[in-house]
Amino acid sequence: MALTTTPPANVDESGFLHDPEVQLMLRVKQGDDDAFTKLVKTYQDRLATIFFHMTQNQEAAEDLAQDVFMRIYRARNGYQPTARFSTWLFRIANNLAINSHRNKARRKEVPLPVGETTSMSGVRPESQVLADKSALMPTRQIDKHELQLVVQKALEQLNERQRLTVLLHKFEGMSYSEIAETMEMTVPAVKSILSRARDTLRTALEPYMQMGK
Amino acid sequence: MEKTVRLNADQREDLVAYLDGELPDEEVQQIDHIIARSEVARHEVEALARTWEMLDVLPSAKASDDFASKTMTNLKVMEAPFILEDQWWYPYLRRAAVICGWLLCLGFSGWLGFQIARNWVPNPDDELLKDLPVIENLDQYQDVREIEFLNLLKQSSVFDDAQEK
Repeated sequence: MALTTTPPANVDESGFLHDPEVQLMLRVKQGDDDAFTKLVKTYQDRLATIFFHMTQNQEAAEDLAQDVFMRIYRARNGYQPTARFSTWLFRIANNLAINSHRNKARRKEVPLPVGETTSMSGVRPESQVLADKSALMPTRQIDKHELQLVVQKALEQLNERQRLTVLLHKFEGMSYSEIAETMEMTVPAVKSILSRARDTLRTALEPYMQMGK
Repeated sequence: MEKTVRLNADQREDLVAYLDGELPDEEVQQIDHIIARSEVARHEVEALARTWEMLDVLPSAKASDDFASKTMTNLKVMEAPFILEDQWWYPYLRRAAVICGWLLCLGFSGWLGFQIARNWVPNPDDELLKDLPVIENLDQYQDVREIEFLNLLKQSSVFDDAQEK
């Protein structure tokens, strides 16, 4: 799939001019780099979080986040405020995540287990052992790190599209229609994907429900 | 709905949308009705809601402190006009170009010299080749001794009869 850097054009233009980020992007179009720095600072952690949960790698997450900003900056001259800025940004992020996954699959990379690739989650290899113990004894009380690991593993059971949909819904608070616009799907498709994803999560996490409280 | 009846896929899909507040009022009422009557549905909704809440433990990533400045620097580099002389590899490229230039000159000179030697300097072998038919029959020509004798012999028509026969 080709990367889409053109802002969506199927929505009413006038409604988005009041979006402060759209205003910033219009300033970027006029050559104001400070405005772009503000946009980067606004979205850097949000993008890093999404990509981190997609890749399980902090460095890769930052590289992908930077790539998103690069593409936005390059497309600034043709920018038209026809959607919320975040919709455009996460659409580019979605395309990049898909391409990244595809390239990774082509190289047949074997992802390292969570906790070995990053210090982000604060999960150390010994925690992995603990989590494995937890899996054997689901009634045992587990701490927050272990629970993080369990949830992370549950998230990994989802396919790329399901995972991104869940992350956009959970972390970005996007509605079904916003996710549909961002991921270029229909609302019923989003509904179906989220339902299947949450069913998978429920199956994986139900044994730990009491411990997570 | 019976208490033990399991939910089908459509109903489950609706339960998730119900929890997300994405269902129209009519369908919300239907789900409320189902939940009120079905223990299975109630358990399902509860489990879906609580496992969704468990995702709150996932850590939020934080980009490195210099992420914004690094990104802006990379953008500047990306946007900067390309100046050949400013590239780190330019001196090497220039040196390689000079060496290649000299090698080309050397090669061309060699080729030119070869062409001159071949076309303009006379070759003694060419003379020999030109005279080869004479050289090959030199013994016979020496036996004849004089060209006048041959001319006289031709005029005498001595061999004409032999040819007619």
